[in-house]
Amino acid sequence: MPLHVEIQLVAVVVAAACALPGVFLVLRRVALISDAISHSVLLGIVLAFFWVRDLTHPALVVAATATGILTVAMVEALHRSGRVKEDAAIALVFPALFSIAVLLIARYAGQIHLDVHSVLLGEIALSPFRRWEVGGIDLGPRSLWMMGGILVLNAGAIFLLWKELKLSTFDPALAAALGFSPVVLHYAFMALVSVTAVGAFDAVGSILVVALMIAPPASAWLLTDRLTLMVGLSMVLAVAAALTGFWAAWILDVSIAGSMAAMAGVGFLLAFILAPDRGVVAGLRRRARQRVEFAAMLLAVHLLHHEGTSDEWVETRIDHLQKHLRWSPDFARRVINRAEFAGWVRREGRERLRLTPLGRETARVGMTR
Amino acid sequence: MSDEMRSSGVAQTGPSSGRTWNVDGDAPDPAVPALEVDDLTVAYREQPVLWDVDLRIPQGSLTAIVGPNGAGKTTLIRAILGLVPRAAGRVRILGSVLEEVRRQVAYVPQRGSVDWDFPTSVEDVVLMGTYGHLGWFRRPGQREREAVGRALERVEMTAFARRQISELSGGQQQRVFLARALVQEARVHFLDEPFQGVDARTEQSIVEVLHELRDRGDTVVAVHHSLQTVPDYFDRVVLLNVRLIAAGPVTSVFTDDNLRTAYGGRIPYLSPTSSPPPPPSSPPDSRSRVEG
Repeated sequence: MPLHVEIQLVAVVVAAACALPGVFLVLRRVALISDAISHSVLLGIVLAFFWVRDLTHPALVVAATATGILTVAMVEALHRSGRVKEDAAIALVFPALFSIAVLLIARYAGQIHLDVHSVLLGEIALSPFRRWEVGGIDLGPRSLWMMGGILVLNAGAIFLLWKELKLSTFDPALAAALGFSPVVLHYAFMALVSVTAVGAFDAVGSILVVALMIAPPASAWLLTDRLTLMVGLSMVLAVAAALTGFWAAWILDVSIAGSMAAMAGVGFLLAFILAPDRGVVAGLRRRARQRVEFAAMLLAVHLLHHEGTSDEWVETRIDHLQKHLRWSPDFARRVINRAEFAGWVRREGRERLRLTPLGRETARVGMTR
Repeated sequence: MSDEMRSSGVAQTGPSSGRTWNVDGDAPDPAVPALEVDDLTVAYREQPVLWDVDLRIPQGSLTAIVGPNGAGKTTLIRAILGLVPRAAGRVRILGSVLEEVRRQVAYVPQRGSVDWDFPTSVEDVVLMGTYGHLGWFRRPGQREREAVGRALERVEMTAFARRQISELSGGQQQRVFLARALVQEARVHFLDEPFQGVDARTEQSIVEVLHELRDRGDTVVAVHHSLQTVPDYFDRVVLLNVRLIAAGPVTSVFTDDNLRTAYGGRIPYLSPTSSPPPPPSSPPDSRSRVEG
């Protein structure tokens, strides 16, 4: 397989594996904990390395996952003490664990291949060079197998615990009352996040893994209000970020991991602006429509108010309306068109408006609201 | 359950009870209290939130828990359901510990306790009520969906089944929560402020459902805020202010004296002139335990 295809495969699998637990991180409002975990797993990796002296040993994954869970437990213990808020607790715990790991690497691991730069940004470009060989047969890049395994693990766990995760995320109190311990589920889920962070660590480093976990689900949540769709869309967006990121990096000759994370961010920005219902543009259009609708109601009420009075002759003139209601000519035209379209008013001649029976009724109901 | 069956102690199980789920064991002996709480104390950092509460609530009753803010009403329910740790005390539901009767207990938390932006539909939220019967890993199927359909019909929310939950009004959210409790087909129902922020029509239809549950022999315990409606809606009342002030049938316990004790002298509503005189046996500042 050509080099660039293998890199893209690794990128796609990493992105998809990260997006899966990311959905529940976002829904549980603990997105930042992924940042904490992805940093503190380094301590587990370093400590396990000193023990087994082999960077590919499975003990590293086990130790790293354990530090991930330890991080969550420490954050919660600090938070529960009541002396520190949760965000501060996160910010206190993971830099402490991470810095210990950095010191240990600098002091004792000078020769080995574990430098701070690759810890932060990963080395996805080098992934094709670390092969997995069994009995002399080349099975492909090691990280492809590892992340593939983690992807299957995440998908399997989320499939099996779908209703339990959904319930404990939406309503932890009911989950507990029904006998599904939210604490057990929380830690099981955090173990998944930790394993994912360790695996992705190798490829994209500890900072960018956060972008891949959080940005696609956060974008997907803007695009759908169905959980299953949100999971599917998160995967699609993550894979799209991985592929566009790879090609952007190829063309611009920059870091692949950085480019993938940037594309995940671009994806979010697009969703933020253009999402059909919850995007900024949709919001502005909705507000503009509501303004015109409200103004049309105001117009109907105004006409009703002056119906049959001595000043009706003046108050129903279109040019007077503009002055009275302080509308710009353009806005007034849109409001009148809207009211006419709704069947609330009729034009009389060129410059006068009259309420229809429907408009009279609407104005009456509108006023009592 | 009919009165005959209750008096003859005939156990009901399976389809004859009109229930979808096969709840653990037989119908409980009607003489067993639905809820027994002895010496329950809950503390938050050595500060008692609930102090030495004793309670007996019979089956087939509709009980309001009332008391001022910070009286520990929600905590009482949460402690009974094991959602907050108890510093001391013993809780029995239908004569057993919670773990043995979990499936016979339904819980409706406060509406504000969940995030209504969660990406899911009305139907799906109600379906969550069936999870307890399903247990770990099993998925809801046809039978569960049918139960959800019936529950939604009961609370007049059928038309909203596929609606995204963020589009609901407060009253509709509360109906969804009630439907979710109904599909649990429990025998003892705990509701935390079921009338909070709902319109008059919703309030009436919730009351109707609660009365129906009571009339078929279920036990309903609800945290309630509006004192005016206590005599209309409920049979029994628990007056709470960290300590238990009084508990028993509304007619004998819901008195000015007891209310004054619970609310520290100020009663936040005009008492009806027909309110019964305080029972002579219970001086206003002591804890009275009136059993039904």
